[in-house]
Amino acid sequence: MDLSPVSREAMRPMARFRLLAGSIFIALILNLLPWSGASLRAHPDFVLLVLLYWSIHQPRNIGQGWGFVLGLVMDVANSVLLGQHALIYVVAIYLAQLLRLRVLQLSLLEQALHILAILFVAQTLAILLNLSLGREFPGLLLAVAPLLGAALWIPMNYIATLPRFRRSPIHTTVMR
Amino acid sequence: MSAYQENFFARGPSSLAKLTFFSLVAIAVMIADHRFQALSVVRLGVSAVITPIEQALRLPGTLVDRVGVYFRDQQRLVAENAALKLQVLDLSAASQQATLIRSERAYLDSLGAANARFSDQGLVAEIIRDARNPFARKVIIDKGLSHGMAAGFAVIDGKGVIGQITAVGMLSAEVTLTTEKDQSVPVMVVRNGVRAIAVGTGREGTIDLPFIPVGADIQVGDMLVSSGIDGTYPAGLAVATVAVVDKNPAFPFARITANPTAGTDQHRFVKVLTSPDTSGYPKPDIKAEERKAARDRSGGAAKRREGR
Repeated sequence: MDLSPVSREAMRPMARFRLLAGSIFIALILNLLPWSGASLRAHPDFVLLVLLYWSIHQPRNIGQGWGFVLGLVMDVANSVLLGQHALIYVVAIYLAQLLRLRVLQLSLLEQALHILAILFVAQTLAILLNLSLGREFPGLLLAVAPLLGAALWIPMNYIATLPRFRRSPIHTTVMR
Repeated sequence: MSAYQENFFARGPSSLAKLTFFSLVAIAVMIADHRFQALSVVRLGVSAVITPIEQALRLPGTLVDRVGVYFRDQQRLVAENAALKLQVLDLSAASQQATLIRSERAYLDSLGAANARFSDQGLVAEIIRDARNPFARKVIIDKGLSHGMAAGFAVIDGKGVIGQITAVGMLSAEVTLTTEKDQSVPVMVVRNGVRAIAVGTGREGTIDLPFIPVGADIQVGDMLVSSGIDGTYPAGLAVATVAVVDKNPAFPFARITANPTAGTDQHRFVKVLTSPDTSGYPKPDIKAEERKAARDRSGGAAKRREGR
């Protein structure tokens, strides 16, 4: 189905909304899987990963406000102290916004390294928050989560830029 | 403007301003939740929406489990059946004895000699998953408000105490394990009746017994059962076995570590004791205590003002 540029223009907002909402929904579902034991500590935060992706590629649609709201949702779903994921997501998205123009210039591997740094900051913040609440440090498996998250950055980029999704033209091009 | 173009001039507040705003709101929410438990209503409402989604997500796993059980080999079932029959025989003697003891106990109670605390009324629940918080030692069970669960109920498995219910949703409840940091159970040593408080360490499979004098008679291998003085855990439930006793005269207290007898990694089904008989205990009047604390605070402030 080849649409003329005019009609493509008209359907753009709807397609964009569906892609954004769909990806966030899938990430939420992945986070809500019954993780237990070691996988509970080591699994990457899919919601944070998707939020970082969109705040880099769609800064006008996804920003700190979305991070805050989804953070509250995660807090309730995990029944942890309300506001803790919200704070972590907001800080991580702020860092992504700072690094955004730089990250867009880089190759996927170099992008993943930047994401790794952001995810490590987020995880450190989570650990500090929980230690300040008087909890026990649950072990170094927690450091695996950012590594896995950064590794997922590359397949995630491939999925998001599949021809099927590319039809909804929402990916920013690099301006050199 | 097309989506391909960058917006040249930034619109709205800067991202640093947004960061400051959202961080402050998040911290305010955290304080509200931590200090005043003000948002438990919000939590309950949202959990009612999320629980059905979670159950839908569990469905594929449950189906795979069922198919696996269906095709499990005959041999193993036969062996398991034989073992269970032996166990029933074993337990039936104990249960008959327990009936006798209970009737004697009831007689003594009628004489006013003791307070009946142990009630075996309960509800079997299934452990759905760990709580999704790597920093806490909690599990989620599949019974909630709609099954009559309430915070404070003790949860046991075939071997002993697992923990107690600390939060209840519509269709699920959160059980805090005895190994959770600072989670405490009043216990006593079966051998000689020495009382202590078992406090969780936050680590897998260890419980501490703090504030036991060096001279106390506690040995490695001693069985600890709940003493029932808190009114949460009925008396006489197995809690832990003493594993390490370190009596160093340089310190006023011995360092004693115990291993919990029950383990959530061993069983899928647990029993929630739904009617802890706390009639013999005074109810804590939280409101009055808070009022008193507030009065003390304001009184102190007034005195300080006078002193100035």
